[in-house]
Amino acid sequence: MSLPALPLPSEDVQPFDPPPEYADLRSSGEVIRVACPTGLDAWLVSDYAGVREVLGDGRRFSARPGQASHMLASYGPDAPVDNFTRWDGPEHIRIRRNFAPQVTHARRLAELWPLVERITDEAITAMLASPQPYPLHSRFSTSITTSVIAELIGVPPAERHLLGQAAGALFTTSTTPQELREALTPLYTYLYQAVATRRVQPGDDVLSRMIEHSADSDRPLTDGELTEMNAALLVAGFDTTASMITHGLVTLLNKPGEWEKLVADPDVATSAADELVRYLGVGTGLLRQATEDTEINGQKIKTGEYVVVAVQSGNRDPALHADADALDVARKPGPHLGFGHGAHACVGQQIARMELTTVLRALATRVPTLRVAVPLDSLRWKTDSVVRGPVELPVAWS
Amino acid sequence: MKVTVDRDLCIGAGNCALTAPAVFDQDVEEAVVILLDESPPESELVAVRQAVDRCPAAVIQLHP
Repeated sequence: MSLPALPLPSEDVQPFDPPPEYADLRSSGEVIRVACPTGLDAWLVSDYAGVREVLGDGRRFSARPGQASHMLASYGPDAPVDNFTRWDGPEHIRIRRNFAPQVTHARRLAELWPLVERITDEAITAMLASPQPYPLHSRFSTSITTSVIAELIGVPPAERHLLGQAAGALFTTSTTPQELREALTPLYTYLYQAVATRRVQPGDDVLSRMIEHSADSDRPLTDGELTEMNAALLVAGFDTTASMITHGLVTLLNKPGEWEKLVADPDVATSAADELVRYLGVGTGLLRQATEDTEINGQKIKTGEYVVVAVQSGNRDPALHADADALDVARKPGPHLGFGHGAHACVGQQIARMELTTVLRALATRVPTLRVAVPLDSLRWKTDSVVRGPVELPVAWS
Repeated sequence: MKVTVDRDLCIGAGNCALTAPAVFDQDVEEAVVILLDESPPESELVAVRQAVDRCPAAVIQLHP
């Protein structure tokens, strides 16, 4: 008998919610065996406590197969483990500690707010001077998040097209390993050269700071590691955040009263940012592999077997919030799984929060009449990507 | 209440310093958690509990 397929979001039917079958799975706590799009079979965990347990225990559940190898044809779980996103334990923590001072430290973040605010303000000014309807995803969300991450790392405007090219290939489910290599090569080549340049002529950018910071450590980062780390920040840093801005706005504008709460008090943007990530985040789930015979929710899992955690379903668990299926932009930010959990939790999460908060606050203040310019059911949604949301979002204002 | 942290496993996500800044900070070198107050007042209890729940690496322990 063939296994049931991994339930995946269908935004054309349910734009804001995980597949309906998760409600029963979650309430029973049952861990079932599913067939994933790339052909591997996995145990599916869909309740909040179970997802948190799997992601939080890197000793029992390794990141080795790759965070999304259940979805992406481009790098199989048996590919060489050549990248820190697939490392476990102290080797991975070493890399995180070279990221953290640049992108998560509270004092560093305080320096970055003005940059994000300036880029957002310029994007809104450009939008308000444009004809309507306005293509929000490409011209606003993607433009802002690309500029922020590129300015952080010091990528000049002429090279920024490399980000879109790399992200498109990396997050598209049907990309072959060969196509992925070809699509990533220009960005890696550019960054590899940038590492060499900044070693000689450092600037104030994240790349230069990483070089300087690690030079004093026991094991300075290699050129290859610096290239990988900055490629990851660049590629993951703009597409996921841009999609969350766009998907978040169409959600807010379609839930009665939510946009109005933000307009009435733009400082609600802080809680709205976390709430949207909780509500919409990582609909296609994350992959782990058991390192020992173990169990989750009473289900025995053998060494080497794969586990998919349904992050969005976990965040809708009534055990987390009694009304977890309701979007409430004023919900006090608390624990959720939308940035992942465990040692591999999103390294850019504080910057993503900063961008989402800034964009929501500025739009609510300067464009309070913002609305989606087309019927919801006419929107096209990304179906071939692990980064979900509308392909485009036409908006208007008065 | 007593609070302990495991700096060896900290990934420097920074959620604790944002959630309970009177109790947690991050060092400048690696953004690793610094425990500012290992016996914080009861008024910090809610914030410390939130910091425990929001720590992705689960390195903060609260001992009532």
